[in-house]
Amino acid sequence: MSVPVLQADEQLQSILDRLVAMSERDHYDPYTMFDWPDSLPEDEYWMSPELLSIHGTKVAESFTEEQKWAISKWESVNFYSLNVDGIRELITEIIARIHTKDFALSSEYFHHMIGEENSHMWFFARFCLLYGGKVYPDKGVQLEMKSEGESAHFLVFARLLLFEEVVDFFNKRMGDDERLHPTIRKINAIHHQDESRHVAFGRQIVAHLHRQLRQKLSTEELAELELYLKRYLRKSVDGLVNPAAFKDAGIPNPYQVRNEILADPAFHELERKMLKRSMSFLVNEGIFTDDVLPRS
Amino acid sequence: MSGVAEQTTQQETERVAAQPAPTGFDAVIHYLLGKRPGLTEIDPELDLVENRILDSLGFVNFLYVLEEQTGEEILMENVTPSDFRTINAIRKRFFHESDQSGS
Repeated sequence: MSVPVLQADEQLQSILDRLVAMSERDHYDPYTMFDWPDSLPEDEYWMSPELLSIHGTKVAESFTEEQKWAISKWESVNFYSLNVDGIRELITEIIARIHTKDFALSSEYFHHMIGEENSHMWFFARFCLLYGGKVYPDKGVQLEMKSEGESAHFLVFARLLLFEEVVDFFNKRMGDDERLHPTIRKINAIHHQDESRHVAFGRQIVAHLHRQLRQKLSTEELAELELYLKRYLRKSVDGLVNPAAFKDAGIPNPYQVRNEILADPAFHELERKMLKRSMSFLVNEGIFTDDVLPRS
Repeated sequence: MSGVAEQTTQQETERVAAQPAPTGFDAVIHYLLGKRPGLTEIDPELDLVENRILDSLGFVNFLYVLEEQTGEEILMENVTPSDFRTINAIRKRFFHESDQSGS
């Protein structure tokens, strides 16, 4: 008889119980939680200037303050659109596992995650539609056959964790940034509050699944998982630089601007900061052998 | 010894920088070749996915190369994975050119 992928473990059970209690304590109604003014000021930053992809880059030196405000508007719509895409994947993958034998242990917490993520997707999409008139479409395509088995479970939860950690880097800072409009601050702060629980769960399950895989997989197979996740991180970071956002901001040569940003050391410094926490976790847990990402 | 290697690398960098950047369909081929160092050409009917030249994780960056070189945004509802599987498929779908037997 096969054993469940997520096996009863005193520490994991205790963490899950605690997270369920915290979710119940922090529960809110997203549909009445926020003020949604008809419009937001166009002569302000909609994202913290230091978090914009253009921050400190050579190409940004020629941009006016008005152009930077416009970029901040459309990069924030891009950021929330990426959240919508990532949450759609997260909910789909969690629903595929809830109340299955492999994940019976975490099913109670999965119900809270799904509910919370649905709320997040709703308020991020509402922001995009109200203030940008659109959610930027997901440009991804599944080209290969999906893998199955325990490695696939590990990769799904690792992807979800890394997505949440990258997003949380922005939410935490923008939730506290007094320069931003109160509506922008609040959606970021609320998301950060919920995500800190999801990240705590994600770290537990990812470390747990990788420990199990280490007993079964060869060094080469583990190296393949590492490379896959590093390339996933590269894709996630590069996705923050969207030529459609530059185009909507009225910037000429949006593709060239994107290429220049991706090659600029200032952007790699932002990347280093946003991935610092995740890299430490992955290296400390033995999931990564180093903190070097492949290039774009 | 390392000084010679560095000098050679710099000469190579300067040589590459002095060449005009490819444009249009040539830029697409150039990008795909860059994904597999050591590869100098790609059979136009080679399956790019099976041969790990193109995959889901590298797809969006590739899509932007296509958009930049065609000058048109690609709407995902108008394309299928088979449009990206070979050089000939890409050429036909996005550059509106017919198959060619050589690369």
